[in-house]
Amino acid sequence: MRLSEVTERVSAATARVPRSVYAVGGLVIAIIFPLLNMAGWVETAWLRVGVISLLFVMLSLGLNIVMGETGLLNLGYIAFFAFGAYTTALLSSPKFELRWPFLVVVVLSALIAMVAGFVIGLPTLRLRGDYLAIVTLAFGEIVRLTITNLQDFTNGPNGITGIYSPRLVGEGALESLGSTGPAAWLVIDKPVEYYYLVLVCVAVTAVLISNLKNSRIGRAWNALREDELAAVSAGITASRAKLLSVVLSAGIAGFAGSLFAYYSNVISPESFLFMQSVIVVCMVVLGGMGSIPGVILGAIVLQALPQVIRQAAGAARSEFEVYRMLIFGIIIVVMVIFRPEGLLPDTLWRREAHEVDPREQEKTRQSLFDLEEGEKDLEV
Amino acid sequence: MASEQQKPLLEFRSVETYYGRIQILKGVNYQVHPGEIVCLLGGNASGKSTTMKTILGIVKPAKGTVLWEGEVINNLRTAERIKRGVATVPENRRLFPNLTVLENLEMGAYTRTDAAEIAADLERVYEFFPKLAERRKQRAGTLSGGEQQMVAFGRALMSRPKLICMDEPSMGLSPALVDQNFDLIQQVNEQGVAVFVVEQNATAALSIADRGYVLQGGRVVIEGTAAELLDNPELKRAYLGG
Repeated sequence: MRLSEVTERVSAATARVPRSVYAVGGLVIAIIFPLLNMAGWVETAWLRVGVISLLFVMLSLGLNIVMGETGLLNLGYIAFFAFGAYTTALLSSPKFELRWPFLVVVVLSALIAMVAGFVIGLPTLRLRGDYLAIVTLAFGEIVRLTITNLQDFTNGPNGITGIYSPRLVGEGALESLGSTGPAAWLVIDKPVEYYYLVLVCVAVTAVLISNLKNSRIGRAWNALREDELAAVSAGITASRAKLLSVVLSAGIAGFAGSLFAYYSNVISPESFLFMQSVIVVCMVVLGGMGSIPGVILGAIVLQALPQVIRQAAGAARSEFEVYRMLIFGIIIVVMVIFRPEGLLPDTLWRREAHEVDPREQEKTRQSLFDLEEGEKDLEV
Repeated sequence: MASEQQKPLLEFRSVETYYGRIQILKGVNYQVHPGEIVCLLGGNASGKSTTMKTILGIVKPAKGTVLWEGEVINNLRTAERIKRGVATVPENRRLFPNLTVLENLEMGAYTRTDAAEIAADLERVYEFFPKLAERRKQRAGTLSGGEQQMVAFGRALMSRPKLICMDEPSMGLSPALVDQNFDLIQQVNEQGVAVFVVEQNATAALSIADRGYVLQGGRVVIEGTAAELLDNPELKRAYLGG
């Protein structure tokens, strides 16, 4: 197979690049990007694409904890995003005439999503594989339908409008300091400001997760994924470790949901369709399960690339919309066949995807060379 | 029995367990003393694996008591039991196939936090199994059956156990490997670790054991020293093909 050889070579090449290069490189590009807009080289529309892409990066990082690390498929992940978004919308909009401080709202949104994760996780985590996937799928739909029908709270299909912009300092705090009116720089309402706010949140999330991945709990998650009985025999309390991964990933989705609500000013149930959950799953699979740089790349590719193509398509724009999901599907099928471990794979998942790790194979070849003439026959 | 006066390391007192409404263990008594090799013989569905799970705390007894060094541990979590000195070599070894030999061994020390001591124990395991030192960077799933068994043993040793429970060590192995395996059990035992072997292969198990129990339909039907069991006419007929 020619093609598999090519992909193997790409694997070997990407594996040699130190992870820190990806991190620093990606961050520099992300920081520079809005400057291009300020210089007038890039339209503001692209900044909006950037904000949404970064929100999906957060979602992918969160889903990766359960899917990539612990190996639990969640097909209703967007429900936690909805919990965060609606918590924020209710606490910071004219709906109930509330305008709680930004930090309080964000933290509460994440906490509410975590509670939802706990409630759904507790009874379902004894399920595995397909069964868990079906239950989480149903959970996602139940949450969406509840939101749609809970008119008094959520305005149903009309959604909640007029969500206030985040204010980094509570109302009145500035006035008490003698300032008149809110200082412009303390209210986040321009795309550039949202962009940097979300970027900081993404960076914090990525650092947090990469630390977790290399901690005891990270090893416990990986061990549970590899062999649950063996993991339990090693002293891992399976239910606790799994629940922690579900709750954490829900919290990150809630966090992202809160930022999403603030950013878009309006939220309605149609932002939380089943298809959105599927897209986040695709981002994780495409980028590389268990790999932080991988899922970041996967999210950006699947969120930003369609926009780029749409722009390029020009007049054929509406045509492209029709085929978008088809193209997604083809990309995933091609990936699963030729590079199941993802674009920037995690070490463990690469080993899982290949009977023999390409890098291990290299070593074996070398050692065969080292053998004496007579020994060769014995070994082979 | 030889070590009657000593306090048993592990003791089952009239333990009964259920899966839903189906009773598996119907009031069994076992004792394992420090440094002993005890084997549990029995056919399929006799309750051997359930015994194993009850020792580890994966299954909780409905009646009766499980004691560890004289203390009731009925409701102790698996992780706590491992911290106190229970280790296991599960049926079919159950290694983490995509982790390296070293990573597998490290997982054995999951409940420990004393890094320096863990490193020392790792060296001890490598001394005990020089083959594993050679292969420390290799994926466990790519090792031969015999080597995998060494990893499973090494992993169990990494938690500094007082008792190693082995579930069907001869299962699915060639006769030569079965012998190697039982040699390993003896070697580990010589380090002062008690071993509780659950087996179908009565001859192999009794050849290394101090004492044994025969389980049938959730009850202990015969017990005694290995020599007594080997002479037992019923056992001979049922298990030893005599």
